[in-house]
Amino acid sequence: MKLLLKISWRNVWRNKARSIVFILAIGFGLWGGIFATALMKGMIDQQFNSSIRNLVSHIQIHHPEFIKEKESTYTITRAEEISSMLDGNSKVNAHAERTVVSGMLANASFTSGVEIYGINAEQEKLTISLEESLVEGDYFESVSRNPILLGHTLADKMKISPGNRIILTFQDLNGDITSAAFRVSGIYRTSNSLNDERKVYVLQDDLAVLLDGYGIINEIAILLNELDETNAFRDELQGLFPQYEIRSWAQLSPDLSFMNEFTGMMLLILISIILFALAFGLLNTMLMTIFERTRELGVLLSVGMSKVRVFSMILLETTFLVITGSVFGTLIGALTVALTQQKGIDLSPFGAEAFSDFGFDAVIHPTLDQVFYLNLAILVLITSLLASVYPAYKALKLNPAEAVRKE
Amino acid sequence: MAVIKTLDLEKIYNSTHVPVKALNKVNLEIEKGEFTAIVGPSGSGKTTLLNIVGGLDKPTAGKVFIDDEEINTMKDNKLINFRLRNIGFVFQSYNLIPVLTAKENVSFIMLLQKKSKKEMDRRAEELLREVGMADKFDVRPNKLSGGQQQRVAVARALASRPKFILADEPTANLDTASAFNLLDIMARLNREEHITLIFSTHDQRVIERARRVITLVDGAISKDEQFNQ
Repeated sequence: MKLLLKISWRNVWRNKARSIVFILAIGFGLWGGIFATALMKGMIDQQFNSSIRNLVSHIQIHHPEFIKEKESTYTITRAEEISSMLDGNSKVNAHAERTVVSGMLANASFTSGVEIYGINAEQEKLTISLEESLVEGDYFESVSRNPILLGHTLADKMKISPGNRIILTFQDLNGDITSAAFRVSGIYRTSNSLNDERKVYVLQDDLAVLLDGYGIINEIAILLNELDETNAFRDELQGLFPQYEIRSWAQLSPDLSFMNEFTGMMLLILISIILFALAFGLLNTMLMTIFERTRELGVLLSVGMSKVRVFSMILLETTFLVITGSVFGTLIGALTVALTQQKGIDLSPFGAEAFSDFGFDAVIHPTLDQVFYLNLAILVLITSLLASVYPAYKALKLNPAEAVRKE
Repeated sequence: MAVIKTLDLEKIYNSTHVPVKALNKVNLEIEKGEFTAIVGPSGSGKTTLLNIVGGLDKPTAGKVFIDDEEINTMKDNKLINFRLRNIGFVFQSYNLIPVLTAKENVSFIMLLQKKSKKEMDRRAEELLREVGMADKFDVRPNKLSGGQQQRVAVARALASRPKFILADEPTANLDTASAFNLLDIMARLNREEHITLIFSTHDQRVIERARRVITLVDGAISKDEQFNQ
């Protein structure tokens, strides 16, 4: 085996130029594949994490009618019970109880339909990282009476800055229309511009006064410690509180779920294309090698080298060639990912708004799991072995008597 | 007892529209220790005969026995193993493995026979010394002259302690000095170690050294001469 390994390794370097070109082709092909995959995964992961962290959380609880009617009269009456159960559960990272009202926001020149979220400021810091999302102003601090947080899209559209006054109009629990003046405390920005145009946040107590009802909870958002526990915990909650509609992030945001699955498929297609090209490149190279070395292979068969050994030799040569190229490609790929992961790649020159409209950050942090590299290595090895079977088979089919005389 | 025996050997090539009879009822016996030259014009069937006797090709009809063992009916894998243990080959174009050194080329055959490293090293060095290549153990074929490569090929052919060596035009690509040198080595091996040699050749220098000359014409033996040298 040792000599077979030696022969195979040396054979790889017989035609240095061709081997180096092929190794570079594999290397740069994999590098491109790894980096494109990391970029795409980074983009999707960011979008996913940001959606979970800033928008939907892992689980939300609503009154079933609230989902249909969006009426704040459909409340979660067992909110306190749920809240204390969540407080004592180790799976829960944070949770927030919200009052949700549909209404109109207006200033001197514009009017816009909005969803008004009455929140507990401390809870939302932890649940949707609202404070971290602020790009202007502060987190309900500078304004003492009726502070409000707006998304940047809405603020830009209505030309509103922190400190400006706006009017919120909505229906109270008695069905009467009520209006109140709020002052902009801060402007937030998430990766989803549609969200930023639609949602405004006020303090729950301020909203309660205007709604004419305290302790009105229409939505409970739950952030878990582990994403994987979502479905099990949702089922557990649903069992405990069957009268409410309890939905996981995948149910709340099917597009997010689709995106997650679609990305996996896209990455698989991308890698398959690269491996497909690799297989044909390899097939071509190895067939040329067999053609050029017909006489030598004929001699090996003539002097008594078994077909299994000849077959193994061709497989080994292919494997060496591919491993060398793959190691090179994976190293530069992993290095590129590592170098760009921290700082990220700023794609805002290509249109930050466009990215934001689709819920993506313009600065992408490429990322890849170690499992990806392992899977890639296995796939490359399988591809190379499959691609080398035909050339190896051709070598076996040589007639030694004719092969040794081939010019 | 004959090392090689053929019975009514026939070979017909059907690769063209008109079948070509390369061997026609060849009956031949070669005894241990003989130095035989198979001669004849191009297309007379010399190479075909060597290929069939060496188990590299199958006859269309007839039988080949090596030490009374019929080889033309053997399955491929068994035949490869048989060649490895019983037959040494020397080719016209040397055909050494270019990525191996002279010593590795010789050891290679023993490695296929699963010999120990110690034995491989010892015998490879001994054989290379015997063919005058003691100072070229670690040299690769591309750094050796044609004559030197052919001497390594002879050492390789001897490595497996074969029953006989088949040499197909081994001097055809060599200059006169190298050819004489090679023939001296092979004649000595034949004389001193009783190695059975079968050459196919056009080369008068080989014919002069051989103790038996079989002439083939149109695939049939036309003359079989013995010489005492």
